[in-house]
Amino acid sequence: MGHAALNRKFDRIRAREEAGLNKPQSGNRALRKLLSNPLAVAGLVIFAIILLASIFAPFLTPNDPQAINLRAMLNAPSAEHWFGTDRTGRDVFARVLYGGRVSILVGLGSALLAAVVGVGIGAYTGYRGGWLDTIALRVSEIFMSFPQIILVLLLVSIIGQSLINLIIIFVLTGWGSMYRMTRARMLSLREEEYVQALQSFGVPTVKICYKHILPNALGPIMVNITLTTAMFILAEAGLSFLGLGVPLSIPTWGNILNVAKDIRVLENNWWMWLPVGLVISLFVLSVNFIGDGLRDSTDPTLQG
Amino acid sequence: MLTFVIRRLLVTIPMLLVISFLVYLGLELTPGDAVSHMIDPESASRMSEEEFAALREALGLNKSFIQRYGIWLTNVVQGNFGHSLSGGVAISTIVFDRLPATLELSVFALVFSTIFGCILGTISALHRGSTTDSSLTVFGMIGVSIPEFFFGLVAILIFALHFDWLPVGGRLLPGYTSYFDHLPNIILPGLVLSMMMTAGVMRYSRSAMLDSLSREFIRTARSKGLPDWRINLVHGFRVALTPVVVLIGFRLPTLIGGSVIIEEVFQWPGIGSEFIEAVRGADYPLVMFIALLSVFAVLMASLIVDVLTALIDPRVRLN
Amino acid sequence: MANDLALEVKDLKTFFYTNNRCNKAVNGVSFSINRGKTLGIVGESGSGKSVTASSIMQLLPRLSRIEEGSITYYSDRGDLRIDQFERDGRELRAIRGEEIAMIFQDPMTALNPVYTVGFQIGEALKYHTDLSTTARRARIIELLTDMGIPLPEKRADEFPHQYSGGMRQRAMIAMAMSCNPKILIADEPTTALDVTIQAQIFTLMNKLKEEQGTAIMLITHDMGVIAELADDVAVMYMGNIVEAGSVDDVLRRPRHPYTRALLDSIPVLGRGRNQDIKSIRGATPDAYDRPKGCQFAPRCDFATDACNVMPPEERITETHRTMCHHWKELSDV
Repeated sequence: MGHAALNRKFDRIRAREEAGLNKPQSGNRALRKLLSNPLAVAGLVIFAIILLASIFAPFLTPNDPQAINLRAMLNAPSAEHWFGTDRTGRDVFARVLYGGRVSILVGLGSALLAAVVGVGIGAYTGYRGGWLDTIALRVSEIFMSFPQIILVLLLVSIIGQSLINLIIIFVLTGWGSMYRMTRARMLSLREEEYVQALQSFGVPTVKICYKHILPNALGPIMVNITLTTAMFILAEAGLSFLGLGVPLSIPTWGNILNVAKDIRVLENNWWMWLPVGLVISLFVLSVNFIGDGLRDSTDPTLQG
Repeated sequence: MLTFVIRRLLVTIPMLLVISFLVYLGLELTPGDAVSHMIDPESASRMSEEEFAALREALGLNKSFIQRYGIWLTNVVQGNFGHSLSGGVAISTIVFDRLPATLELSVFALVFSTIFGCILGTISALHRGSTTDSSLTVFGMIGVSIPEFFFGLVAILIFALHFDWLPVGGRLLPGYTSYFDHLPNIILPGLVLSMMMTAGVMRYSRSAMLDSLSREFIRTARSKGLPDWRINLVHGFRVALTPVVVLIGFRLPTLIGGSVIIEEVFQWPGIGSEFIEAVRGADYPLVMFIALLSVFAVLMASLIVDVLTALIDPRVRLN
Repeated sequence: MANDLALEVKDLKTFFYTNNRCNKAVNGVSFSINRGKTLGIVGESGSGKSVTASSIMQLLPRLSRIEEGSITYYSDRGDLRIDQFERDGRELRAIRGEEIAMIFQDPMTALNPVYTVGFQIGEALKYHTDLSTTARRARIIELLTDMGIPLPEKRADEFPHQYSGGMRQRAMIAMAMSCNPKILIADEPTTALDVTIQAQIFTLMNKLKEEQGTAIMLITHDMGVIAELADDVAVMYMGNIVEAGSVDDVLRRPRHPYTRALLDSIPVLGRGRNQDIKSIRGATPDAYDRPKGCQFAPRCDFATDACNVMPPEERITETHRTMCHHWKELSDV
């Protein structure tokens, strides 16, 4: 902000203060801050729209995503088929909506599961310390030494492709970062005095760890979940695009993009892949906006 | 300084051994076994049953698990990485053939994203709160949200197919041999690969700069009457460099992973696209080995980043 | 006398604008500093003393500004209104480091960790003098020696974290004094140091005052430091100077309830275990929810209804002033 603009802002604040208008605000500070962030709000809106559109897909389109119609192959978008049709006459719009269900399930679901595993392990072993902590740390280091895609593809080649397998693989590759972060917070929080007080009262370890300390680490955990969701959605899209993610029989956003590997489709049938790509980008962008907003609102050190 | 490097190496080597053991385990569990892959299939097919059995004996295939691991490991260290299941080509040949292509792409992306990302992030931090800052931040977020392969496809559509400025794929157009001739080929995949990394570096450098500029020593520098550029660059950026380097180091695995998909989209003949072929073809020895190679690359890169950090930050060095 | 004046501040107001609130951190402060003398500004946290110090050279954080008032620096070139210089502009930068210098509370964070001490001391020399590299190096060694740092040639090439706490502060002072400034602003220079090191720093600062005629503005919360080092003192509370005068005046004949209460709350060495220490009742008010009128009234034993109006400044003697309706009721210590 330039000097002049900053000065004007100060004048405004001073006038309000002297008129007694700047009272301390009530309500949850984090929530308030989040909702006053325009990008975060935009993110929430877009996220909700895409999510709800996927969930309520049957209400939004009469077409069956799997229905083959050889008389309407490779049609450009029209009133009947908003995103046109693909090589076997299937309605692309319907496929995108229904595909969203799977993609979001995989992305969000895996992120939440990875969070449960990572946070659960990180909180307990971080609190207890000792050899348990060291083992968990080394194991996480091993997982994190692999580039994610390579580890995922490695596991896919070993245990095969399926929806469940993919979720399991994602959780295996994603728990590490949640674990590390939770452990770091735990290490600093367990030295707080209230923890020692709880210990001296004989409160069981599990209770201290999960009921008393963990809620204080919630902010970064939520931010991390959003980032992990974004990462998994992109990963699923990439894998399915390669044909190595969710099996091609189940439509997902990445699967739909698979057709773009053919250069003729790329050049001539833009409706088959461009809208899907944009939907993925928008969804991930909204998740990132939300995550960023969460980070800003739960960070107590950031000034106004 | 030397002790620092040695200490880091001592930590890295056990990690490599553990992972190599896991890879070996994986090889044992999949069809075929590790050591049999070590034999050149050409000569294997020409041998008789007895000769084959004798060779297996000689190679220690009938020994215990741990001993076989030892033999396999020795082979790997000596450069015998086994043979691919499809075509029986020695993996070492495949790897060394395709490594330069991948290195080209990765190094291009790393250098570009580091320089460009730092510049943009610093500009963003120095003009904090302005429209420039907001736009750059939003661009950065868009950059990390678009799937890299999708961005690649769009780039191909626009620059190669529509405008015909750049080639659609491949590393070398037929007929060209010198390095600079294939510059047009590297631009699209290189820039697409850089996109996500640049956005990340831009965000780290912005927050590192803001953090550095809020420290007390900046006030001291201002109190000495130094010009703004010196305060921002010599004091601010220099101190922000340490966390940026560390964070770039954390993102190196992502860079290596990213090149896998980009190579596939642009038909770039590197190790990444080879890896995908191997996964599709259930070519376990190749899959395992490339995975091991990637871990090796990540660990080595982390080591280099640690050394770099020690070089630029005296606090790390003298501890 | 006018010739002796180094700095004069009149009705300075500096406001902070964090979290979209307006905090009147310094709300009308006036004082002056003479050459070769030390002015001590004493007060608790939140009194605005550090903000006053930062305002002089406009080293304020981004979300704050000088609202009103004048800061006049009496330089060789004439009387300069430095509050009107452009923030971080060329004129101000020419004065910073060369004619007015500042040292900060915690030398560990105030020094850049990735550059050697010699490099950092040499920066001011590089920008404010024409000395060659060798001449600069010689001057750096000279400064380190003057400040009592042993083995200066070796130390100049070391990093701040290799120094001990006291040495770091000396290095900071060396850095500040490198261009022989007329005014040195010291913001709680010994708060982060041991008492024994404190004494060494005090001796050092007195030496500067005597040998170079530097005017020193010393910010502190410690009355003991005032008694040791200051010639004149100003007591600050919630953004105002409630009492000011010579050290003798203020410490022996305090005429403001706050000053009196501060002095009463300090244990005195030698008076034994059962000495009468009175803590000040109440707590400092919230900066955003201030009392009307005199800021100290809620905690004051002498408060009456008249104190709902801000007391004017009253002159007790030519050098001694206070802001209290009831100053006459206070007796000598």
